[in-house]
This record gives sequence, structure tokens and C-alpha cells, in this order.
Amino acid sequence: MEFGWTPEEQAHRQRIRALLEETLPSNWEEISVHGPGSDAQTAYSKEFCALLAERGLLVPHWPVEHGGEDAPVWRQFILGEEMWAAGEPRGAQYMNVNWVGPVLMRFGTPEQLDKHLPPVRRGDAIWCQGFSEPSAGSDLAALSTTAAPVEGGYRVTGSKIWTSYAGKADRCFLLARIPPAAGGAAGKAAIVILLTDMRSPGIQVKQIPALVGEGDIHEVFFDDVFVPSEDRLGAEGQAWEIINFALQNERVGIARYEFSRRMLDRAVARLKAQGRWGDAVIQDRAARALMLCEAARMLVYRVVDGKARDLPPDAFASVARWAVVQADNGVNDFMTEFLPDGLLGADPVQQAHHQRAIAAGVASGAAEIQLNLIARRWLGLPGEPARK
Amino acid sequence: MNFSLTDDQSSVLSGLDQLLGQFDEPGVRHAVTHVYSAALAEALAQAGFLDVAREAGFGALDAALLVERVAREPHVVEAGASALIAPILPIDAGVRPIALLSGDLTGVARFLPVASLLVVDRGDHALLLPVDRDKVEPVETLLAYPYGKLAEVDPALGTRFEDVKAIRRRWRVALAAEAAGCMAAALAAVIEHVTARFAFGRPLGSLQAIHHRLAMASETAESTRWLALRAAWSDDPADAAVAAGFAQSRIAQFTYDLHQFSGAMGLTLEFPLHLWTYRLRALASELGGASQQARELAKTVWGEAA
Repeated sequence: MEFGWTPEEQAHRQRIRALLEETLPSNWEEISVHGPGSDAQTAYSKEFCALLAERGLLVPHWPVEHGGEDAPVWRQFILGEEMWAAGEPRGAQYMNVNWVGPVLMRFGTPEQLDKHLPPVRRGDAIWCQGFSEPSAGSDLAALSTTAAPVEGGYRVTGSKIWTSYAGKADRCFLLARIPPAAGGAAGKAAIVILLTDMRSPGIQVKQIPALVGEGDIHEVFFDDVFVPSEDRLGAEGQAWEIINFALQNERVGIARYEFSRRMLDRAVARLKAQGRWGDAVIQDRAARALMLCEAARMLVYRVVDGKARDLPPDAFASVARWAVVQADNGVNDFMTEFLPDGLLGADPVQQAHHQRAIAAGVASGAAEIQLNLIARRWLGLPGEPARK
Repeated sequence: MNFSLTDDQSSVLSGLDQLLGQFDEPGVRHAVTHVYSAALAEALAQAGFLDVAREAGFGALDAALLVERVAREPHVVEAGASALIAPILPIDAGVRPIALLSGDLTGVARFLPVASLLVVDRGDHALLLPVDRDKVEPVETLLAYPYGKLAEVDPALGTRFEDVKAIRRRWRVALAAEAAGCMAAALAAVIEHVTARFAFGRPLGSLQAIHHRLAMASETAESTRWLALRAAWSDDPADAAVAAGFAQSRIAQFTYDLHQFSGAMGLTLEFPLHLWTYRLRALASELGGASQQARELAKTVWGEAA
């Protein structure tokens, strides 16, 4: 058992910090506070990810045959920690390298890999995730957008909601259901994954004004949109397996606690500047928020460790996700109570953190769903009897 | 970063499990607030487990793994101070059990009725006092440890030890490791109960309200465990304060929920839950409690006021 970093890992972290220091523009803070889905950050992400690609820092964890270096899992994770803490200059593209690419490698055809991986590797691809619907959020299996089989592909009709980055996306990782009238099986088995071109006729994207950041969430309408068969990922009936694989990668992909941890440092610096750090209550509350960050860190590391050692995924990722939500909210609550001026214009970065924290328990599915998974799959508690 | 046990650690824990297996049950069937086992303490000492941190190639992390595992037992023995604090004190190996106290020399201390040594945190130094057990007054309590106090103490009989910060650091690690073990065992007992107990025609443990709060309890137990082990590995004051403070800050909710889901059974001495939850409740206030660890942590990480 070992909880330290190797000299190589430490050097890797320093290299990333140096790169951020050297590369991020002087107005980065101003850009980053708008959120990863904003016009400004999306535009910058293309410049920044291209640079990362050039320096071998965008997809080094990918296998060599797909343009990576087979770099250890921890190396990529350290990169993610530093990026998220810096306000995620990769913008929406973190998603591509963390899970879209790996999912394609595992389940895609050679043609799909040739088509979709090069833009991701170059740092020039924006994907969105067409999962949630008005009546299927955390209960993903209830989705009702249809994909009716037609000659050469599918006709997609329905809508998606809460879709991050849809306004800027080139492709959508879209889940839809083959309708029973077209021979679709019952339940999850009818779901198909369509790697949908967002420029296809019949797609309409509407931004939803929200508390969580500019351009972060959208509604996407599909009106008889044609998607060719070659854009279906995996076989019909295989979608649920693929989704689970994708979510396992997604749920531990974001080192939210690291941003929160650094926000605490920033908050303490402001409190010191205001002459308030001597207050024992403030010290107590800051440290309790720090404890939550460190708990989240250790549980996330435990998940990454399993991945690094190639262990089969288990429900511990859900335990870690719950801790991460507590950490984000613990830090946010602390700052909202003791530094309310940060939400009144004094600190836009605090406001950006606030916006991420209030979404932490909802993004990627409600955190309470994770509690259900922990209860059943980690603790082995009996499930709820089926409703009659 | 590697969260797996080394071969040596696996071997130590496997030997420990074998030994603990021989001390199964007797005693805990009695309706008592705690079951101190001198026989188990002796067996652990004889087998060298309590001195694991003194062995070449082993250290505080191995001791914390041991403390966490022993704390899962219904029997209570003093392992934390012996395994984690004794190796940094100017005492011979084998001086144990060790009782710990902050402040007043005549305060009430865990394990004092069975202790050979009392270590008292006096603020700017520590005092190591040999214990004459005949002079210890046992204290009746619901808290699931043997407690006692000395009516009078002659400080001149003690040995002064300057590095009190090192004692506090290891004490925090020991506290967190012990809490982690108690949490794991208490949670397992309640999971068994809510799985077997039926109400409204279904197992209690199938209700979502119970799912959610036990899931949260498991996050508490897992976080406590990994923070304790990291703190033992690093022997760093901030990590130690995080580990102890986190554990202490969660104990009230954790123990409340576990008793709540055990219903009236959880209020009886027949059901063993209290053997762990009342150790946790004792640990919640040690070293000044969560707030003290938090303020120490704040000062360690961010410094004093400018």
C-alpha cells in the first residue's frame, strides 16, 4: 500500500502546471468563469487542446495503435486533476479524451475509429451526450426518443434535454429506442447508440438559460432525422452494456474536489486579507470543508487505483461520487456563508465554483441514484420489491 | 499510488485474522456495555502484532491496518496506543496497555483500569506515568471501554517527553483507524439486521430511506478508513488531523442512523451494536473533538492569522 507519487508522476504534474502557467492567456480567469460550454471557452479549447495534442498531453493514455502512448492511468488522471483545478481549459473536450474515445475504441468499427478518433486526437472535436430526456433523466432506461429502422439507417424523432455543449457540438452520442411497432424489444434491449452528425437536417438546438453557466445545457429536438447505419455504435441490443462502460469512465473522470480544494485556498487568502482568519469558527468551518475534499480525493483515488490495476469495475465509484458531491457542496456552503460578496461580484471564480457545485449532485445522473447503487451493489441490501 | 496490500501486509493480516478467529464470541453474549479481553490483548502481544511498527520493513501504516482490523472485534483491547504511539516513546517494547489523557492528570481515561502506562498531553510536553492499577478508580459508563481515573498523581514519578506533537499526531491516526474498524463492524451488524428483519411484508433493508442512509454511512466508513491509512502512511500532521477530524465529525450521524435502523433492538445490550457505536461515541470527543482537529488542521495548512 502506497499513497505517494512516483518521481515521474511528480515531474508530470510539474510539467502540466508549467504548461498551464506558460500557456493560459492573461484573461483566462475571465474566460473560464463562463463555463466549459460557453462560446469563449469552446473557442479557446480548440486552441488549447491542439497545443496539448502537439505536446503529447491530450491522449497519452490511449493505446499506441490509436495514437496514444499507452501511458499509465495515473498520468492521465493527474492531468485531469490539474486541468479541472485550473478551470478546465480543455472545455467540452475533456469528455472526448476521458470516455468518448475509449468507448469507441472498445465498441466501434474500424471505419468509425478512422472517422471519429483523428479529430479527437487533434483536439478539434466537440461531442455532446444525448442521454437525458424530459421524462428520462436519472432513469435513463425510460427514454422514448425513437430510432425507426429504415433502409440504410434510422429515422430519429424525439427530444433530449439538459444536453451540455449541444450548441457547439459536431457529434452527438445519442441514445434512442427502436419502437415496438418496428420490432424493438422491450426495455433496455431496444436502445441503440447513434453517433449522430449534429449538422443533420431536422436537428434543432435550443439553449436553456440556467444557473449553472453559459451554454451548459440545452434542449435538442430531432424531427425525423436520418442517421446512417454505419453511425450506429455496437449491435442493436448492446447499448446498455456500452452505456455502463461509458458511465464508469465518466463518473470518475472529473476531479471536482481539486477545484474545490483550491477554491478553499483562495477563500482563506481572501479571509486573511480581510483580517477575519483569526476567527476560530471560520477556521473550523474551512477545515471541515477541507476534510470533505480530502475524503473525496481518497475515494476517487481508490477507484482510479482499481482502474490502474485493471480490476473489474465495482460500485465503489458510486461511493466516491457521493463523497465528491459532499466536497463540492461543503466548500460552496462555506464560501456562501463567509464570503457572500463572492456571489455579489467580488469573485467571479467563486461564482463559477458555485455554479459547478450546485450541479454536482445532478450532472451525470442524480447522486441519489448512486446511493441506490451503493445500497444494492456495494452493501448487498435487498432491492425494493417491484411495483404491482 | 497503490491501494493494494503488500505481500507482507497480507501475511500479517491473515495471521491476525487467524488469531482473532480463536477469540470468537464468548463474553459478547452477556448483556454488558463492553467486553475487555485481557486474553486477546495478551495473545496479540505474544504474537508480536502490537509491535509490528517496530519490525524492520514495517511501520505506522502496518500498525494502523492492525488497529483497524482489531477494532472490528466485539472484544475491546488497547491496540491503538501500543501499536502506533509506543514506538515513538522512550519506553521499552512491551510496556502496555497504554492509557491516554489530555490535560488534568486525574482525568478519566480509556483503558486506565488495565493500563501499565498513562501518557498525559500537558500542552507543551507529555508526561509518561507508570500506573499502579490498585490505585485506579473504575468509572461506570455506557461508553464501551474500561474507564478509570486516579484520585491523585505525583507528577514527579513521571517521565517528561517533549515531542507532544508527535504523540498527538499518532493519537489522531490511532483514533481514526480505530473509528474505521468500529464503523465497518457496526455497519455490517446493521446490514445483517435490516436484511433479516421483515416489516410490512418486506425486508427493512429494502426501503429506500434505509438504502440511502446506509449508503451514506458506508461513504463515512470508507472515507474514514482511507484517510486513516493515508495519515499512517505519511505520518503528516495535516493528514492526521484530517483523518481524526473527519471521523469525529461524522460519528454523531453515523451512530444515530445505525441505532435508528436497529429499532428497539438497538437500545438493548443483547444486540451487539453498542459494542462499536459506544466506542465511536467515546472517540468522538477525544483530543478535543472534531472542532479541535479542524482548528489544528486549519493552522497547519493555512497558518495563523496574518
